[in-house]
Amino acid sequence: MKLTLALSLVLLVFLCQNVGGKKSHKPADLDDNEFAEFEDFDDEGVLSSAEQEATVEEEADFPSESDDIVKTQAKKDDDNEEEEDEGVVENDDDEFEHFTDEDEFEGFDKESRPGKGKSHEVPDLKIAKVPIHLRTNWDSFYLEMLMLAGLGVYFLNFLAGKTKNGKLAQAWMSSHRSILEENFAIIGDDGLSKEAKGTGVFNKESENVYTLWCSGRTCVEGMLVELRLLKRQDLINVMTTIMKPASDQIIVKVTMDASSMDKFCFCIGQKKVMAKLLKEQPDLGQFTEKKAVENYNLPESFQLQSEIGEATSIVLDKKVCAYLEKYEQQIEYIHISDQYSGAKSQYDENQSKMPDVRPSLVFCFNVPGKGKTKTSDVDGMLPLMKLVFYCVDKVGRLALSKEKRLKAEKNRAKAAEGYLKAAHSQLQEAAQLRREEKRRLAKEKIMNEEDPEKARKWEERESKRDMKKKQAKTKMMKVKGM
Amino acid sequence: MSTAAINDVKRPNKIHRYKPKDSSAPGDDPTPDYMNLLGMIFSMCGLMMKLKWCAWCAVYCSFISFANSRASEDTKQTLSSFMLSISAVVMSYLQNPQPMTPPWQ
Repeated sequence: MKLTLALSLVLLVFLCQNVGGKKSHKPADLDDNEFAEFEDFDDEGVLSSAEQEATVEEEADFPSESDDIVKTQAKKDDDNEEEEDEGVVENDDDEFEHFTDEDEFEGFDKESRPGKGKSHEVPDLKIAKVPIHLRTNWDSFYLEMLMLAGLGVYFLNFLAGKTKNGKLAQAWMSSHRSILEENFAIIGDDGLSKEAKGTGVFNKESENVYTLWCSGRTCVEGMLVELRLLKRQDLINVMTTIMKPASDQIIVKVTMDASSMDKFCFCIGQKKVMAKLLKEQPDLGQFTEKKAVENYNLPESFQLQSEIGEATSIVLDKKVCAYLEKYEQQIEYIHISDQYSGAKSQYDENQSKMPDVRPSLVFCFNVPGKGKTKTSDVDGMLPLMKLVFYCVDKVGRLALSKEKRLKAEKNRAKAAEGYLKAAHSQLQEAAQLRREEKRRLAKEKIMNEEDPEKARKWEERESKRDMKKKQAKTKMMKVKGM
Repeated sequence: MSTAAINDVKRPNKIHRYKPKDSSAPGDDPTPDYMNLLGMIFSMCGLMMKLKWCAWCAVYCSFISFANSRASEDTKQTLSSFMLSISAVVMSYLQNPQPMTPPWQ
């Protein structure tokens, strides 16, 4: 009995130990199983290969480094391990054989596996396409080069155009200086300096517009010469001019003294320009009528607008007609008016206020060459400047007959009356609006008023007022009827 | 001599000063103002929507505005528009260094 008890106790103890041992041994077993392949190797060798695996798992990007680790560790070991190093390389295939098992993995192609140890340690990386880098390939930036080239061309054209325009202005000045000095006390004034000293040079308004103010002459307040050249500095404009040729223009505006000029309005010019002028210039639209050019033996391309026939025939004498015939292409228009106010603004539709008028002569000349102007062409404009002074003197001496003068004054009075009426009606409208606005506000106030008594009283007052107005109107009607 | 004196039309005592034209009146040529505005719009589009072609158009617009500008105009505005367009080009290339692709590709 005692023996059996003892034996059973021993068995129990043995069983317990076995169970505990199994549990503890499981990881070991697992480990053992994992590294069952390395059983033949030394511990260090086992470790190195284990580390190798770890390094392969952790540092897949750096196969060389893991190899280095393997190699360095292998060097520390004995000769066996040197063999193992090679053996490691050789045995790598064996080590990772289970990874190359086609049955184990889906889509695994044994043949496509990279050959030697290094490459198959590294997972198959898909290298992304490197974007085109500045340093490597300039050809791909051809559009940018094109843009820069375009800018370069534009800038070069700007410089060339600016220089050409400057040269043309200079040429005009040098050829016309003598005639200007004969006629005016000062040539060239910017209006900013304290003393009225003639600068003798153009004011540059922009790269294609040059102005010159001359003053100090009999009958004349001043003369403004404006060179409106083509925009040679702007490439787009240059290309537009190639497709649709245009000319450089010289606009001479002579402002007469108030008492020097008789009252009349006159304009002669190219037909295509006249339509535009009639719209823009209020005096032409108000005072002038279309007259036939055949009476004066002028070319058909011209259109004549005149207020007073007598004045027209004095202005269009033989000399002027000869000029108009000879320089038909170069004379754009000649506008002589005592009611000159400049082009009316498109925004100002309200014609209630009489515009500020000055007696003026405006000449617009086209420079020959149609864009391809040379400095010699500008010199050829001198006779037209002489025409300007001739006309100025003529208009200064012009004296209308009494009858025509009265007619002119009547026309002006009528125009002034028209302006007054327009102004008056505007004022009335404004007053009416104000009154209505007042009434509306008062009504709103009363509506908001809480006291009914006050509201009633106001309504009574309003009705009385309306009654009175009506009565007053009827009374007036009665008086008129009588 | 006397004929020259008689024919002398100069009157130094009747000099009138030049009154410069009112520059605020829009009438004349609105090109520089339009181009300036257009340039600024293109710059903002290029900067915010990262469009390279917008930025390049802005540079062109500011160039055109500069070429057509009047002497009386403030150069600061033209210069600031130009600087804005240059910054739009630079920023769009810094954000995306790839070259421009034409619309037909």
